[in-house]
Amino acid sequence: MKFTINRAVFTAKLNDVLRAISSKTTIPILTGLKIAVSDQDVTLTGSDADITIETVLPSSEESTNLTIEQAGAIVLPARFFSEIVKKLPDKLVTIEVSDGFQAQITSGSAAFTINGQDANNYPHLPEIETKDGVSLAGDVLKEIIGQTVLAVSTQESRPILTGIHLVLADNQLFAVATDSHRLAQRKITLPQAVQERYDVIIPGKSLTELSRMITDSQATVELRIAENQVLFVLGNTMFYSRLLEGNYPETSRLIPETEDTTIELNAAGFLAAIERASLLSHESRNNVVKLSVTAADNTAKITGNSPDVGNVEEAITTTSLSGADLEISFNPDYMKDALRSFGQSEIRLSFTSALRPFTLVPTQDAENFIQLITPVRTY
Amino acid sequence: MDEFMQQPLQIDATRKIIHIDMDAFYASIEMRDHPQWRNQAFVIAKDPRKTGGHGVVATANYIARKAGIHSAMAAQKALELAPKAVFKTPDFTLYRQVSAQIHAIFHEYTDKIEPIAFDEAYLDVTENKLNIASAVQLAHQLQSEIFTKTHLTCSTGISYNKFLAKLASDYRKPVGVTIIQPGDVHSFLMKLPIEKFRGVGKKTVPKMHDLGIVSGQELFDLSESKLMQHFGKLGYILYRRVRGIDDRPVEYRRDRKSIGKERTYNQLLISDAEITAQLKMLAGLVADALKQQQRHGKTVVLKVRYQDFTTITKRATQTEFVENSEEAIYFVANQVREELQADGQKIRLLGITMTNLAPLMFENITLPLFH
Repeated sequence: MKFTINRAVFTAKLNDVLRAISSKTTIPILTGLKIAVSDQDVTLTGSDADITIETVLPSSEESTNLTIEQAGAIVLPARFFSEIVKKLPDKLVTIEVSDGFQAQITSGSAAFTINGQDANNYPHLPEIETKDGVSLAGDVLKEIIGQTVLAVSTQESRPILTGIHLVLADNQLFAVATDSHRLAQRKITLPQAVQERYDVIIPGKSLTELSRMITDSQATVELRIAENQVLFVLGNTMFYSRLLEGNYPETSRLIPETEDTTIELNAAGFLAAIERASLLSHESRNNVVKLSVTAADNTAKITGNSPDVGNVEEAITTTSLSGADLEISFNPDYMKDALRSFGQSEIRLSFTSALRPFTLVPTQDAENFIQLITPVRTY
Repeated sequence: MDEFMQQPLQIDATRKIIHIDMDAFYASIEMRDHPQWRNQAFVIAKDPRKTGGHGVVATANYIARKAGIHSAMAAQKALELAPKAVFKTPDFTLYRQVSAQIHAIFHEYTDKIEPIAFDEAYLDVTENKLNIASAVQLAHQLQSEIFTKTHLTCSTGISYNKFLAKLASDYRKPVGVTIIQPGDVHSFLMKLPIEKFRGVGKKTVPKMHDLGIVSGQELFDLSESKLMQHFGKLGYILYRRVRGIDDRPVEYRRDRKSIGKERTYNQLLISDAEITAQLKMLAGLVADALKQQQRHGKTVVLKVRYQDFTTITKRATQTEFVENSEEAIYFVANQVREELQADGQKIRLLGITMTNLAPLMFENITLPLFH
């Protein structure tokens, strides 16, 4: 095996693959990076058994400056290899395996020899056989992930809640996540109807990594779903993720259909106020902020109290306020996460009562995006 | 020269604190119920001749103590020191009952009671239900009432804080009543051997001796900064103690430290399914008890007793409070169980305890996802 490649291009692709490689994997060989060289291209593979990322660098693509002298394959220790490549002096790098499982890495005046492993011992990637894929705009997919992944559970006690529930049917994509204290739901209309209905649960961690790989240059991402895994195709890069098994709870019934108190305000302004209030509540054992709405004088305020530190009160600027008086307590961290997902938008908060979940929706697009938070009962 | 950042010290001598220490509590109960053991060395421990040398001394009567036997000593060693001693397996149920009886007497005088053990408590009698102005008179009355009702003796120490009251009760035993008046504190503490200061244990004593500190006087002569430099926070405390200062209140409303449930199985548990079912049941009971007491905890302790009576407790501490639900508590308990890796052993007891408790001041409402 021997090839020479543009170091900057190679490093960029290497970084993508490294997202899948963990030093804490249970399968030792997966701490390595697999490099497979054919007559036309170089393929890099990394995996942690949950996520597998594979990227292809074709010699036909001019920017790669790729020249292949000899095909072959090797698995190299990912961390050392990537650190070496990043620090090499020259524009080009040559990687060669002449005999055994040792690789020579040369660039300008520098030459490394590192020990690798037999690529035949690297686990095989499962084949994904699907008839049709779904094409999604890269920025839209990234937005959907960002808006829902925050509600994914980090508790392993309910594995199914560590994923985002994704349903593709007709011309709609529906994504929902909940950790049982909050819920985030997003719908989008697809430009084209899908042939089949898909109903899958993708680990939140996988989608977080995927969304980091979607850059502005990534116009479209193709989604292919198989029995127990999902594949996202980003140009020459394939992102595979395991799916979570089981039935996702039915969540639509959890979203309140009525509202007794509503306020409308700017998400960014409210976020700043919540961040101030939570400065004290974080110090305290009760991480709670209270929102009080008084309809008669059209005011809303938030208060936080930490017996050991002090307390805070802030009047909230609203653009509209209506309905019954209300006092409701909530975890400010959940509120902050939800508010961040709205950016600068105007939003509407709808409440029914102090101990019932409440919702946040963008005023302009209430149908398609909703954040739900359960309140806190104080004693 | 004045110390850098010296804090002003103030002695608060307005409180009346009594420390009550039952005299050889377990042994006295046993001797009361078995008068034939009264005049011989008597040790509360499993008989080492029957256990093959295992076990430690819980306590011993004063005759046995004269032979050099003390609590926490190996029972085998006690047998060597007093070959004729009577050994009695401890009966904690009985001791707990007697302790409750004594506490009921305390409550006739005050509700400000801080129990330290079955046989030891602090009482704040600054204000008391019987309006007895003299703490000494109150201590005598308490002592005789305890004797009348239980036929057990105790020693009491009286002073204006817990540190001094405890030193006082220790001063004359058994059946002592010792008061340390504010005017006597200084001379009393100066003569006190350094190891009698609470917090000065096995590890600290040699360090003290290296610094030439053998009694209160040398401790008193050392500056606060010097003490803190050598002993950290303990130095800060000792600087105050040796000046007769201890503002710790009598913690009569101390929170429960743990809430747990356990079950013994006459029909030993063998299958995984049985164990899982029992763990879930216990987790549910603990969750209910926690909810009832309005607390939640971060540490789950699993207790397992195997067929051969070996008992293992193992704990897991979470960063966040464990939700008071069967699922959440079971999940942590089961993780602990998996770490035990004792597959195949028959189980005769299972217990789940939640510790590291805090008041449940709030509870995040949970979406009914799974029902």
